[in-house]
Amino acid sequence: MSRLRRLAAYVPTLLLARRNVSRARARSALAVAAVVIGVVAIGAIGVGGEAFKQDQLEAYEGFGGTATVSPVFYPNEEEPNMNFSDAEVARMEQAAGGATLVPVVQPFGSLVRTPSGETVVTARVKGIENPGEFYETADGTVPENWRRSVVVGSRIASNNDIEPGDQMTVVVEGELERTFRVAAVLQPQGFADPLSADQSVFVPVSAFDDPAYGEVIVRVDPATGSVDEAATGIENEFNARRRTVEVDRVQQQREQFEASFETINRFLIGVGAISLLVAAVTIANTLLMSVIEREGEIGVMRAVGYGRGAVIRLLVAEATMLGVLGGAIGGPVALGIGASINALLVGDPLAFTPAGLRYVGVGLAFGVLTALVAGVYPAWTAANKRPAEAFD
Amino acid sequence: MATEDPPSDGVEPAGVAGAAPDDGSRAGPGASGTPVVRGEEVVKEYETGGQTIRALKGIDFRIDPADSVAIVGPSGSGKSTLLNLLGLLDVPSEGQVRLRGEDVATLSNRERTLERKRTIGFVFQSFYLIPTLTALENVEMPRMLDRTPRKTRERATELLERVGLGDRLDHAPDELSGGQKQRVAIARSLVNDPEILLADEPTGNLDRDTGDRILDLFEELRTEEGVAVVTVTHDAYVAEAADRVVDLIDGELREDVESTTRADGGGEP
Repeated sequence: MSRLRRLAAYVPTLLLARRNVSRARARSALAVAAVVIGVVAIGAIGVGGEAFKQDQLEAYEGFGGTATVSPVFYPNEEEPNMNFSDAEVARMEQAAGGATLVPVVQPFGSLVRTPSGETVVTARVKGIENPGEFYETADGTVPENWRRSVVVGSRIASNNDIEPGDQMTVVVEGELERTFRVAAVLQPQGFADPLSADQSVFVPVSAFDDPAYGEVIVRVDPATGSVDEAATGIENEFNARRRTVEVDRVQQQREQFEASFETINRFLIGVGAISLLVAAVTIANTLLMSVIEREGEIGVMRAVGYGRGAVIRLLVAEATMLGVLGGAIGGPVALGIGASINALLVGDPLAFTPAGLRYVGVGLAFGVLTALVAGVYPAWTAANKRPAEAFD
Repeated sequence: MATEDPPSDGVEPAGVAGAAPDDGSRAGPGASGTPVVRGEEVVKEYETGGQTIRALKGIDFRIDPADSVAIVGPSGSGKSTLLNLLGLLDVPSEGQVRLRGEDVATLSNRERTLERKRTIGFVFQSFYLIPTLTALENVEMPRMLDRTPRKTRERATELLERVGLGDRLDHAPDELSGGQKQRVAIARSLVNDPEILLADEPTGNLDRDTGDRILDLFEELRTEEGVAVVTVTHDAYVAEAADRVVDLIDGELREDVESTTRADGGGEP
């Protein structure tokens, strides 16, 4: 019951505060604008960051059950192990349980030439058994018995105007120099693809006389199996005495990305919070000016019996009001900006994550809190001025 | 003259200053009853610019119920200082100020504020109304935090009507003339039923006619509400409106015998 009474006592305080805030309109508006900027900064960075994260993480979808096995390179050895042999691949298959293994030939010194004779510098030549098994094509089809054509990644195709049916020459130093027909162009796969298909030209393994596999891709359907199990199995098999293979899980990359994203995002939010600090200074300044102007009035209030506590409450209420107003404007603006960023990066303006919305809420709360705290110093100064000094 | 008739409507015994030792520094009619505020050998010193200034040099004063006093002095005489002490806005450096017998120095800041609220009403030369409140709200202001909204509103309305502003309750201060603003201030000063109305150059910002009306209003309210009216001024004309005049020169108080006589219908000296 006493809480209700205290609330009623606050109503005149709020009335007085509201009237006072509407006094110096331009000044108050600027202070409110400062809070708005702070709230929007925090909220928009938060939502925008989340949208960016969602967008980036999407790239990892579909590769969640993938890992890359590469040989560990010891440079001082007599015969450094740079490739896997067929026998080793067989061992891997055993150790990986039910996982699908895709050995990849990664020849050094390879070149790709377009139909017109230009060398495609950025293309990587990779020899695998059948890309059609796990990649979708954008154009053309990969024949089941794939031996005589090549499959081109989306970036290579779009940058060099390559279509199915075109001829491409693949040159591998010491191995082959042959012209192939392009059978298909693949769908874009994104940066998380361990095979970097977008930048690759896939050649059938059978084209190599003596295939040496630079790496082996392990694929597990996340619904049915665990890539971690397969990876562990392989590691146990090969790394018992000495690390001979390195297993790199895409999932790990994803987690690393998420972790570094969090750090960067927090840093950016911190920077956004600095703008709230500026807002606090603005509000303190505004209130201080107002207090100095109102010296007589405040003096009268003290003279007629308003205690110091009442004066402080009144002035802090004024400051808080500015903060609430700033938050009330800044919140929706932040959501609006966030929606645009969502639409841009993720395609759906309403794709707010709970974390993103939290950031908007936090920004709002901080806006109000900062304003409140900013009001304390001017309120304190005003309340502690001796009423006698105010009149002259 | 220890026994004195309580002052009746406007008739003050002449030569009232003759009461008790007339060493020129006493200022009191010697009326019976406890004074509302009483000062004994009050000294007030200030530090400014490294120097100590003795604004009041050991004065005695008293304000009785329904008193009508003017404190006259040039600027720098210590008027504001005395006003602050009378208004319980400050405590003396030496000597005692007693409120209904109680030494104000024994009160905490908070207690003093409360006593001030109950006892003193203030009227200032610059009015000091709150521009964002209506006339009615301005009068209510001293009681806004009392959580008695209805009674406060009643009293405030009644007072505004009493001072002749019943038709301007909802006007903002910038819609009122100087005289009207001062009347609002007077109504405000009475909203807590004080015993003393302390007016600092109340007509300073008003023209002669308006000022006269304000001074008349003081006199009416004094008798109706039973409130003592203490006016601090440098203007002898304003001082004449009071029953009793006290001169404050260089921090010393002196009853102005000549101006103190104001019998009903009597002539002015």
